[in-house]
Amino acid sequence: MSINRRAFLERSGLGLGWVAANWLGQRAQAAPPAAAKTLPASAKAVISLFMHGGPSHIELFDPKPALNRLHGQLVPASFGHVQLQFSKFNESPVLGSKRTFQRHGQAGIEMSDLLPNLAHHADKLAVIKSMYHDGFTHTAALNFLNNGWPRLGRPSVGSWVVYGLGSESDSLPAFVVMLEGGIKSGPEVWSSGFLPAVYQGTTLRQGPSPILNLKRPESMTSASQRQWLDELKWFNERHREPRREDSALDARIASYELAFRMQSTAPELADLSKESAATRALYGMDDPRTADFGARCLMARRLVERGVRFVQLWSGNTTGGEDWDGHKQCDANHQRMAAKTDKPIAGLLEDLAKRGLLDSTLVVWGGEFGRTPTSDGSMNGGGDSLGRDHNPYGFTIWLAGGGVKGGKVIGRTDEIGLRQIEDGVHVHDLHASILALLGLDHTKLTFPYQGRDFRLTDVHGSTALVPRLRT
Amino acid sequence: MLRMLLALSLAPAATSAQNATPESAARRIIEAKCVSCHGASKMAGLDLRQRPAMLTGGARGAAIVPGKPEDSLLYRAVKRDGDVKMPPGKAALGPEEIDAIRAWIAAGAPWTGEAKSAPSWWSFRKIIRPPVPAGSASSPIDRYINTALSKAGLAAAPPADRRTLIRRLSFNLHGLPPDPADVDRFLNDKDPQAYEKLIDRLLESPRYGERWGRHWLDVIRYADTGGFETDVLLANAWRYRDYVIRSFNNDKPFDTFVKEQIAADEIWPDNLDLAGAYEMPKSKAANLERRLGTSLYSLGALPVEFTFFGDQWRAEWQAEAVETTAAAFLGLTFNCARCHDHKFDPISQKDYYRLSAVFAGSEDREVPIVSQMGIFEYTRHQAKVVAADQLKRRLQLLDAAVRERQKSLPKGAKLDYTPEERDQRESLLRQLGEAYMKAPTLYAKANLLVHTAPVPDTHVLAGGEFKQKGERVTPGFPASLGPAPAIDEPADTQWFIPRRRKALAEWLTSRDHPLLARVMVNRIWGWHFGQGLVATPNDFGRQGDAPSHPELLDWLAAELIENGWSLKKLHRQILLSDAYQRSSQAVPASLAKDSENRLLWRMNRRRLEAEEIRDNILATSGALNAKMFGEPVVPELSREEMDGMRDPSQWPITADPAEHDRRSVYLFVKRSFRNPMMEVFNSPDASASCARREESTVAPQSLAMMNGEFLTKSAARFAARLKKDAGPDPAAQVDHAWRLALGRPPDAEEQRRALAYLPNAGLDKLCLLVLNLSEMIYVD
Repeated sequence: MSINRRAFLERSGLGLGWVAANWLGQRAQAAPPAAAKTLPASAKAVISLFMHGGPSHIELFDPKPALNRLHGQLVPASFGHVQLQFSKFNESPVLGSKRTFQRHGQAGIEMSDLLPNLAHHADKLAVIKSMYHDGFTHTAALNFLNNGWPRLGRPSVGSWVVYGLGSESDSLPAFVVMLEGGIKSGPEVWSSGFLPAVYQGTTLRQGPSPILNLKRPESMTSASQRQWLDELKWFNERHREPRREDSALDARIASYELAFRMQSTAPELADLSKESAATRALYGMDDPRTADFGARCLMARRLVERGVRFVQLWSGNTTGGEDWDGHKQCDANHQRMAAKTDKPIAGLLEDLAKRGLLDSTLVVWGGEFGRTPTSDGSMNGGGDSLGRDHNPYGFTIWLAGGGVKGGKVIGRTDEIGLRQIEDGVHVHDLHASILALLGLDHTKLTFPYQGRDFRLTDVHGSTALVPRLRT
Repeated sequence: MLRMLLALSLAPAATSAQNATPESAARRIIEAKCVSCHGASKMAGLDLRQRPAMLTGGARGAAIVPGKPEDSLLYRAVKRDGDVKMPPGKAALGPEEIDAIRAWIAAGAPWTGEAKSAPSWWSFRKIIRPPVPAGSASSPIDRYINTALSKAGLAAAPPADRRTLIRRLSFNLHGLPPDPADVDRFLNDKDPQAYEKLIDRLLESPRYGERWGRHWLDVIRYADTGGFETDVLLANAWRYRDYVIRSFNNDKPFDTFVKEQIAADEIWPDNLDLAGAYEMPKSKAANLERRLGTSLYSLGALPVEFTFFGDQWRAEWQAEAVETTAAAFLGLTFNCARCHDHKFDPISQKDYYRLSAVFAGSEDREVPIVSQMGIFEYTRHQAKVVAADQLKRRLQLLDAAVRERQKSLPKGAKLDYTPEERDQRESLLRQLGEAYMKAPTLYAKANLLVHTAPVPDTHVLAGGEFKQKGERVTPGFPASLGPAPAIDEPADTQWFIPRRRKALAEWLTSRDHPLLARVMVNRIWGWHFGQGLVATPNDFGRQGDAPSHPELLDWLAAELIENGWSLKKLHRQILLSDAYQRSSQAVPASLAKDSENRLLWRMNRRRLEAEEIRDNILATSGALNAKMFGEPVVPELSREEMDGMRDPSQWPITADPAEHDRRSVYLFVKRSFRNPMMEVFNSPDASASCARREESTVAPQSLAMMNGEFLTKSAARFAARLKKDAGPDPAAQVDHAWRLALGRPPDAEEQRRALAYLPNAGLDKLCLLVLNLSEMIYVD
């Protein structure tokens, strides 16, 4: 790190927690306004568990007995109309739920029988049943949840967080994404948008070799590679000098430094065999149904443990697999998806708590929207029937850890689970709250672009929720 | 701010309604904002062109109640007061406009005649050649761009120097670095036409088709396997890839290229009976080449399990055909209309199935593409194939007997052969090998579109489900795209050879089609400048971006058509513009105002695409095998790279190692497993049309470049090449390395630094360093 750079960082009060500044922001203007980080922080890292496709709150957290009474009938006119992607709301019959619900934990949070393992951790969760936005297509909703904006071009939440807080690790990417397969949008949901390219998410490969090429060539020693890298840096910085406005060139130089350090840390990171059999079992890695998602959850813990700031892992594969998009046989679909994820997620919460990581790690569970109380197709029971359409008007997410006091429910939906009707939490409010838990003021975490200061929450968002989450 | 300016310039109906009657004011708004969907397309059943239809309304009931605005759905929808909010997906009407609608309904909603249903969306309107703005620039392209620049008060970057230009051009047109000798020749060429000559030379080289063919392969989601769990080998896909490369190299007129891919068999029908020919006549060979274009429709990602259900397979195949056609040729996203009327564009669900009906009665089929002689050669020796099969069978019988004897062994345990059995087995294996070597090779086949009779009816499928058949539809094209020819067919559609795809191809390529030429010139522009005039090349609808230079786009489209759809002529026009030849250096004031360079005050710096990065390394190290065409090359991968593959037996490594050094366009494209070196540099996943490559910059890329086997091997080859070409003198080696890799000599400081590093590190490490330079993968 150059002297000037260090002096700048010290002056701007960014100090520690910004140890990776030498790879993160090569230039002063890439650092966030000092005022952005003035709130009390209770979380240092985020794990986003993204249930892709849109999990049904009605089958998981938000029981609606009225649906079983109304099963097969049209929704009473008193509920009005909403626009849906595939079905016509006021022409679709109500679909009851087959799930049974019980109250769990001291707080008595309702959860369905699809979540037997998570149920043990009810008192760790703040369940928000009043989430809403208005993007009823996957791409719009995915962008909304991940970028705070239904279209392309904005930085993702992870990028904003890393921009705001820097990295605690100088040997791993600050923002890591683990996919199960294809998704219904694209890499824009972990892109850095107009933020400097260094803040973009890094995807890990699936399977036993999540990061390739960690072994240096046989002709290189650590010292000779270090020297090689110093030479390379000299040339690349010289190339960058007259092209300073291009943040991709900075990101590239930084990525070599990171790559060099990853050679010593990443092999150990990726080696899940060092975890005890008990830990692996905790994540369901001994069961073929849960092994895949379990490995990602365990990897998430290992990443956070090693100072990675923002980890996002996905459940659902749209190319050749299955996701939570229960347009057909929603119940059966959710049985399968929950069976893959319930135990690993419970294991993650337990493991984080056991290791003292949960206090500083905010876990966010949710998808791009919930599902409708009405049937998406026919009701005849066939393979294409008994599905639920997308519902962004009222759905559930939950938060745990990172200073969130669990065992509480916030907000509710109407009698049929269509709209939120109390303590509504818009996506912008959720984003503002996530930033606030990390000590970041969403109104001050800005980046100048095209003549104005942009922020994750645009001109919206409220942190009114934060005190409730913390107490 | 810029975005706002662009939006304003595109909003024709933003004028106030002074001096207008309530009817004329309302009419202007309805025509501009509503009838593109609620006109001929009758989205949600609603037609706002005539008063009776407004009174009847659509699926949600009457649109207007004359005299009662508050009870009129139309008014409430535009006021966004209630659940229906119109227009969808974009800005609400202005308060004046909403008032005008209110006033008109309050006045009893008078309405005379029919509202014009001229498409209101810019890209659906006919292309009319716009006047070229005045200016000093010789190229009309520059007149448009300079006018926009001066209007926005942006200063353009100076012209790039020749060294930058030849490197830019070479990667742009060939995806390869310029040869050092060619760089010198260009630098020293005193001819004022030197740049033009260079363009011509590059466009004439076969390397051009390999690069630009690859762009097209992105658009049509090319792959050698079918994706999903089964990920079956599409064994003939490469013939289409070669057809594309040849088409670009031959400057096949783009309209012909489109016609061939959609309907070669219907437009040039005399080639249907290949098997009947004893020798392949020239005309048949030419038509066969055209028909290879229809392989486009055999390359989609489809789960093969669907073949178990004939109708389901058909439904999926037709849906894939519709969506690829819409994305590639119309630049529109049709996918949503499979299940419901498009929420944002005037594409109804019925439109979707009318287009789907165009593909009904057509089928992708594997057919021989050799003369009768070729087939006969195979059948004559087919007994040898049977003989080999029988040897295989004998081997299986032997193994079965041994297994029977050792029944009790746990599953998967190794069989225990007696010495005699082992000898027998080895002998059988040897015989089998010999028999296999003697067996004839199967004649060439291709996957082409053919007709199946009778032509099945097409229905709207509720929710896109093949079992939920709704209204029967006839083939046709979206009404919102302007007048289209009717497809004449006999009343009894059971027995006739359809010409539906021919009609589609002719409709698309007619002079009046609003989209095909616009969409293609925008793609070409984007592949030259790194960003299209419309930044969303596969979405010219309302969800897409507005064009940065709408008139330039239309001028280029008109030129393309005028010039006989020659893409090479279009390239020349673009490449000769000042805009293309500008430096990529930032002009601070312009950067501050237009940091995305939407108005092209400079050239965009570009990171090379995955294929270019690999090809550049191969070319620089002297290893590139320039062989063209043929079956896909399957390179060897490391064990950890193979870790991501479900079934390693589906990665049949190409035997000849020389093949492994061929251009990346010839590499095997497997849908369920992307070649890691390609994937890490953002190669497309081929699940659907890819309009634009991503450009990520992440540490796994640097790891691949520092440590990957391909890189270390290439560095060693590069070093060997330097020693051979430049001899033992380190200074000469460094100089040559820079010229080969970067198209320039090192400057004094670089030379000094490299020479200081060289003695201890060795030439291999210096070469690895050069291959890792940012300048290697970024083009100014």
